[in-house]
Amino acid sequence: MNLLLQFWSGYTRLTRRWPGVAAIIPFIPVLALWTAISEAGLFPRAFFPGPLDVVRSFFTLTYKGILPDYLQDSLIRLLTGAAVGMALGIPLGVLIGTSRWAHRICWPILLFFQAIGDIAWLPILLIWFGFGLTTMTFVIVYTVLFPVVLNTVLGVESVPRDLARAARSLGASPARVLWEVTLPGALPNIITGLRNGLGYGWRALIAVEMIVGTSGIGFMMFDARRAGSTVEILLGMIVLGLLWYVVDAWILAPLERATGQRWGLVTS
Amino acid sequence: MKTLSLRNLGKTYFDPYAGAHVTAVHDVSLDVEPGEFVSVVGPSGCGKTTILNMIAGFIPHSNGEILLDGKPVHGPGPERGVVFQSFALFPWKTVLDNVGFGPKMRGVPKAERDRIAREYLALAGLSHAANRYPAELSGGMQQRVGVVRALANNPDVLLMDEPFASVDAQTRMTLQEELTRIWQERKPTVIFITHDVPEAVFLANRVVVLSKGRVLEQIDVDLPRPRVWDELVKDDKFKQLSARVLQMVRTA
Repeated sequence: MNLLLQFWSGYTRLTRRWPGVAAIIPFIPVLALWTAISEAGLFPRAFFPGPLDVVRSFFTLTYKGILPDYLQDSLIRLLTGAAVGMALGIPLGVLIGTSRWAHRICWPILLFFQAIGDIAWLPILLIWFGFGLTTMTFVIVYTVLFPVVLNTVLGVESVPRDLARAARSLGASPARVLWEVTLPGALPNIITGLRNGLGYGWRALIAVEMIVGTSGIGFMMFDARRAGSTVEILLGMIVLGLLWYVVDAWILAPLERATGQRWGLVTS
Repeated sequence: MKTLSLRNLGKTYFDPYAGAHVTAVHDVSLDVEPGEFVSVVGPSGCGKTTILNMIAGFIPHSNGEILLDGKPVHGPGPERGVVFQSFALFPWKTVLDNVGFGPKMRGVPKAERDRIAREYLALAGLSHAANRYPAELSGGMQQRVGVVRALANNPDVLLMDEPFASVDAQTRMTLQEELTRIWQERKPTVIFITHDVPEAVFLANRVVVLSKGRVLEQIDVDLPRPRVWDELVKDDKFKQLSARVLQMVRTA
């Protein structure tokens, strides 16, 4: 009993000092199980490789420069798409959130197009733009756009009316109200939208790369299937999970909390 | 300082659910002299907040005129400062930047508007809270910030819409006493909307009683200042005036 408490205390102090450790520890049993199954020899090695095989493949592909290149291609596509999606989505969201007429006209259309999932656009995009960057960018922008627009609208509408009135009666012009009140008030929601958008966009990108791709992580995985290389497929999956975890848990989630909590807009 | 005049002010709007026109304010005429403190009381639904929103320029009026020093007003403007029941402080700005917001909109440089903001924060005993965010303050402190934020902009008229309705009873009395002290020091023109009769009498030079969108009666309050609750609760004249106004409001 005493030993257990001591262990608990040690774990608590350790994870407080290095919070990253808390995220790694749960994976230890997962890795152990994976190793055990692959080592037990239930399946052929080429069909079900172990963690060490994947690590080896990671070093080989990194050494050859394939993995870094493909990762870079995927990330640039995602960031370009996200930038364009935000550049379109935030102004559109502000417009719909502030104008009753824009809301009436755009909202049903938005909901309609939101329902047509990103991948559902692929057949027609392939006819229009072929297998290329335009098709990929279109899908990413499309995927990022909706969460950004919908959350921006939500954010703009959640800014209390009295705040805009207070700013007006303190001498702010409507344009300054937009800059000083509407945008900062909507910011926590905009960041939530961006966080969701990047998450959906990342998944959509991998799917599109499999179909359209000439490079990228998605292409690498699909290409590995053609070559029957299970190891590289698993490597791709792990890279996807790790990368998203790092971006979301270390950048996006803290950003979202920082804006919301400091201003007292989020109570949790 | 300028005179605020309401001339036959009226507000009628179309209620799409009822499918009919509704008149919230019938015909209100009122003059408020520079440096005067006027309380407006009335039962809920008497149109007092609608009148304040029209003066502030938040909603258009349907009939009559709102004149500030003889000139009609349109839309919101910095010459009419507003204190809200919801405080309406900007959550992402510090207390100092909230109070300096009006001067910022006028183009006052950062150093000068910080000086102005600190001066007004000191007036309300809030110097220590300058760098905090509104969410970190109690309700009473937030509304003190709300009051000095409006004052720091030097408005011709200060419009207060039930500003102390959402703080606890003890804090409310302190805020009322502080408001009379600040009013005596700065002599702003104030229109104070409330449904609390003792509060209206305690603060004002004149109490306007509204009923069903019309002015029922105006009563001058010539109680001496400074006004303190400990003394006024025992004051016969205060009791008499409050009772008179209360009766009017209840039968209105």
